[in-house]
Amino acid sequence: MPNSQSSVLKVRLFASLRELAGWHERTLILADLDQSTALAVWEELQLGPWFPGLRIAINWQFAEPEQKLVAGDELAFLPPFTGG
Amino acid sequence: MSWPSCLRLLVADVCIHVEVRAEAFLPWSELEQWSYGDAALAVFVGRVRVEGQNGISIDALEIEHYPGMCEARITKDAEVALASHGANSVLVLHRVGRLIPGEVIVLVAVTADRRGPAQRCCSSLLEALKHEAPFWKREWSAEQGIWLEGNTPL
Repeated sequence: MPNSQSSVLKVRLFASLRELAGWHERTLILADLDQSTALAVWEELQLGPWFPGLRIAINWQFAEPEQKLVAGDELAFLPPFTGG
Repeated sequence: MSWPSCLRLLVADVCIHVEVRAEAFLPWSELEQWSYGDAALAVFVGRVRVEGQNGISIDALEIEHYPGMCEARITKDAEVALASHGANSVLVLHRVGRLIPGEVIVLVAVTADRRGPAQRCCSSLLEALKHEAPFWKREWSAEQGIWLEGNTPL
């Protein structure tokens, strides 16, 4: 599992989202992490409107957009899965 | 963060082996090497289609995954499926990287004491993998890549 670190948040993007953004991993230092949610980070990244099928994982666990973040979290935005 | 591409979980009589590979594999050879002692074995093998989802022939299929979360998610789903269906062991091998048409993408194998639990568990785990495991496919044709937006129907 991702290790907890002080006052930083790791953000990861995959597949089409990674290419849309032009980066795959970024470390954010948020001014007020206690008030931050995955949805707030999504809006701050300016990757476009939330779309159907977009999912979130925090520390490898699926999460809701409104879930609060804590320092050291690994936050991933996941386009619809197409494996198997 | 590094993470082994293989997770093996052995609890009591239940054995789960999940592996994401960048190299091609032969499913029947893998099954021969897989150690199991049950009477029933159910197997699913998925291969790259010749035609893409838009009906055009593809040159290659690119598969990407979320290392770590992907293996952990499949392992968790395998635990649930084994318990739900009363099966005993699971082998999941899944490719990533660039594959050509006809190449094996995924092997899902389940053993149990009887055919019913083995077949139901195999089917259930495959659907969980397709919908809950973070893999993404991109079809390549004439040097154009298109990320797929959903799975093919069951």
